[in-house]
Amino acid sequence: MTPILQIQDLSKNFGGLRALQDISFEIQENEIIGLIGPNGAGKTTLFNCVAGIEKPSSGKVIFTANGKPVSIGGKKPEKVTALGIARTFQNIRLFDNLTVLDNVKIGRHCRFKSNVFGAVIKTPGQRREEEEIARSAVEILEFVGIPGRGDEIASSMAYGDQRRLEIARALATDPKLIMLDEPAAGMNPQEARSLMNLIHRIRDKGITVLLIEHDMKVVMGVCERVVVINYGRMLTTGLPKEVQNDPKVIEAYLGTGAFNAA
Amino acid sequence: MDQKRISNATLLKIGILILALVLPALPFVSQYFLHVIILIYLYMILALGLNVVPGFNGLLDLGYVGFYGIGAYTSGLLTYHFGLSFWLIIPLAFLNGALWGVLLGAPTLRLTGDYFAIVTFGFSELVVLFLTNEIWLTRGPLGLPGIAPPSVDLSWFGGPVWEFQGELPYYYLAIVMVLATIFVMQRVQDSRLGRAWFAIRDDEVAAVSCGINLLVYKVIAFGISAAFGAMGGSFFARWVTFLSPDMFKFWESFLVLCMIVLGGMGNIWGVMVGAAVLVSLSEILRDLLSALGLPVEIRFLAFGLIMVLMMRFRPAGIMPIRAVAAQMRAGRVKRRRAKATASG
Amino acid sequence: MFLQQLVNGLTIGGIYALIAVGYTMVYGVIQLINFAHGEIYMLGAFFAVTFIVGMGMPFYMAFFLAMLCGAVCGMLLDVIAYRPLRQSPRLACLITAIGMSIFLQNLAMLIWGSRPKPFPGNTLPAWFNKTWHLTHFSLTGFHLFIFAVTIIMMVGLHLLIKKTRFGKAMRAVAQNKTMASLAGVNVNKVITLTFAVAGAMGAAAGLMVGAFYNSLYPTMGYVAGVKAFAAAVLGGIGSIPGAMLGGIVLGVAEAMGAGYLSSLYRDGISYGVMIIVIVFIPAGFFGVLIKETKKSI
Repeated sequence: MTPILQIQDLSKNFGGLRALQDISFEIQENEIIGLIGPNGAGKTTLFNCVAGIEKPSSGKVIFTANGKPVSIGGKKPEKVTALGIARTFQNIRLFDNLTVLDNVKIGRHCRFKSNVFGAVIKTPGQRREEEEIARSAVEILEFVGIPGRGDEIASSMAYGDQRRLEIARALATDPKLIMLDEPAAGMNPQEARSLMNLIHRIRDKGITVLLIEHDMKVVMGVCERVVVINYGRMLTTGLPKEVQNDPKVIEAYLGTGAFNAA
Repeated sequence: MDQKRISNATLLKIGILILALVLPALPFVSQYFLHVIILIYLYMILALGLNVVPGFNGLLDLGYVGFYGIGAYTSGLLTYHFGLSFWLIIPLAFLNGALWGVLLGAPTLRLTGDYFAIVTFGFSELVVLFLTNEIWLTRGPLGLPGIAPPSVDLSWFGGPVWEFQGELPYYYLAIVMVLATIFVMQRVQDSRLGRAWFAIRDDEVAAVSCGINLLVYKVIAFGISAAFGAMGGSFFARWVTFLSPDMFKFWESFLVLCMIVLGGMGNIWGVMVGAAVLVSLSEILRDLLSALGLPVEIRFLAFGLIMVLMMRFRPAGIMPIRAVAAQMRAGRVKRRRAKATASG
Repeated sequence: MFLQQLVNGLTIGGIYALIAVGYTMVYGVIQLINFAHGEIYMLGAFFAVTFIVGMGMPFYMAFFLAMLCGAVCGMLLDVIAYRPLRQSPRLACLITAIGMSIFLQNLAMLIWGSRPKPFPGNTLPAWFNKTWHLTHFSLTGFHLFIFAVTIIMMVGLHLLIKKTRFGKAMRAVAQNKTMASLAGVNVNKVITLTFAVAGAMGAAAGLMVGAFYNSLYPTMGYVAGVKAFAAAVLGGIGSIPGAMLGGIVLGVAEAMGAGYLSSLYRDGISYGVMIIVIVFIPAGFFGVLIKETKKSI
């Protein structure tokens, strides 16, 4: 079975700074993979290279959904989303001035096609699309656990709910692979547990999950495999328990204190 | 409670519409008064058109007058040279405006905000230069006089050819055009297209991650904005029946920008209120100053000052979009609570 | 004709350079296009005339005093209009800048009337009129004076930026306000002083132009301002050497264009240059592409 995502010798340089060097790993369909490493290791840069926000300096990123492998390194981000990869952001990037429902509806954007003429003339096709968009958006809000709040303004929500909203929006793009960038950041243990439950449910829907996380409880709790990078290089990859006890990994995290969460 | 709020606003709008429709019949209403109201309607169309770019998309457009001028001169020249029917000119000007919007926007909308603003500014200045210097086409500074008013040609059915006379026919035509513009803006705002625009305005990177192609949607916005600007211009030409290049200077772009900022950028009703307020202010100031024996140009002074003060004390405008209004309320509540705990 | 146009071009180019550095310096520190800068240029000319005619001052004294007034006007502009909006969205600042520009233009119209005024005759130093007729072109003392002033100011500015503490502070603020402030720089003071320097140079430019072309009018700042801004963009907005070079290149291009092509579209050359540069080489000669002031990913 072709892996859903193959990263092959991926490197990214910013001028003289080598953010990523020869990163290679694979993700199988329906896995939940954790991407960990100290701050500044290059994890978000990796996400950006996959999502299309950054162009890899060298190496390949191959995405295979529906049996067709596509090399997505360097593709524009909107194309990558349309192909089936969604992501959330480390610093939560919601559409602050819009309602919760609208935020999710925008996530549905790439799966529909009505344009300005449909909007003005309100063709039956456009009407159907709008109904479907609204319906599916409500459904997704229920799924992530923030039902009935569609009319609130996004920026007025509590932090934890904003994170859920961002995940809802990402799910709205109908992805095959979802990349979550530190979804548990700033969450208390109860919220983190709820998040882990959500991640499992996302996987149960058939979506592959790649997640960057510092909260080791979450990593240990949901990830089936863990990839560790440090200073832009692959350190190791393996089962969570293996990685947790790997001396190289411990050394990489030494002094940050982020490792002793269990 | 929500239900009640909506119908109050709708009642208000219906009330205003009825008032607008019967206005000419009211006793104190002179031709001059109607003229000013028509001017308000015209600027409402322009404000609604410009609102698409900074209001819906968050892009600064400093060259709106360029499209207004293109529309006006298209309309004026087609009438002057070919006597084309106004009812044909409206869609032609609209499409021409859209075309120029796309032509200008496609290569330039990939630029970052400030650069794009500068380019739009340069474009509108070039339009004025062109209108001034291409005398063979536009008669330059001499202006284009004697543009025929619109007429309704019923000779097909054996009826008369009825030409617009006085302000009344323009008045109702303007109302129709404003209503049509509002209709389009409302439909667009509440659609996949509108949502894509708001996403671009709020966070471009997030918008892209939702599959939105920034350039395509920005160009569409710019084209639509230009189309309405040109449509307003086409009306203007056949209403005032005289055009000259200095009617389309940067000041007009700034004025319309002030209207949408003053009224509440991004809010359809807000920008219309802004248009009404600024046009009225301009006329009131003109009357006041000439009554006081002061030079009429001082009103520009007042304008400049008003804009500076608005930006300082109420940058969100008279009727901000819902999210901003909510934030402001929340801010006020917070401050009131803080004051209460501080003094208590 | 070529050499004569070159002389004209370098003269007007120097003027554009003086105004352009004002735009670029302010943009560098607060990322604002100071639309009102052209008005300080205009006020420089009018103040000088007022000093000369109203108070009987000699030319050089009026010159320095006008520059001082320009500096003060620049500072007032910042403190009164722009500083309160430091935390506001960019559009608010831009509208304020345009609002101030319109306010000042009309204020000048009120005070001095809108008809063009001549520069008071016989008040310029005598050697300004001395003309040297060379083979292919002629040169007046006034030309030389403008060259001299421009060069002295450019060199002075360069030294200010590179060799003084203030210059260093300015560069720090332009790069990163937060860091500069943490390093002990009084950011607001630096910004206001930047406006002062920009204002002084702008006023000098205005005075020289008013005297050279023997015509002062309240809207003279508008067109000159736009062209100087085009020059700043050409050189790379935010880059001071760029603005200097951009000003000179634009001045020469304009003179050549007016001489050889069409003098009607003289102004159009600036706009055209501006648009072409922005679309094809937005960074201009030396500029770094304007950083988007958005959240980083």
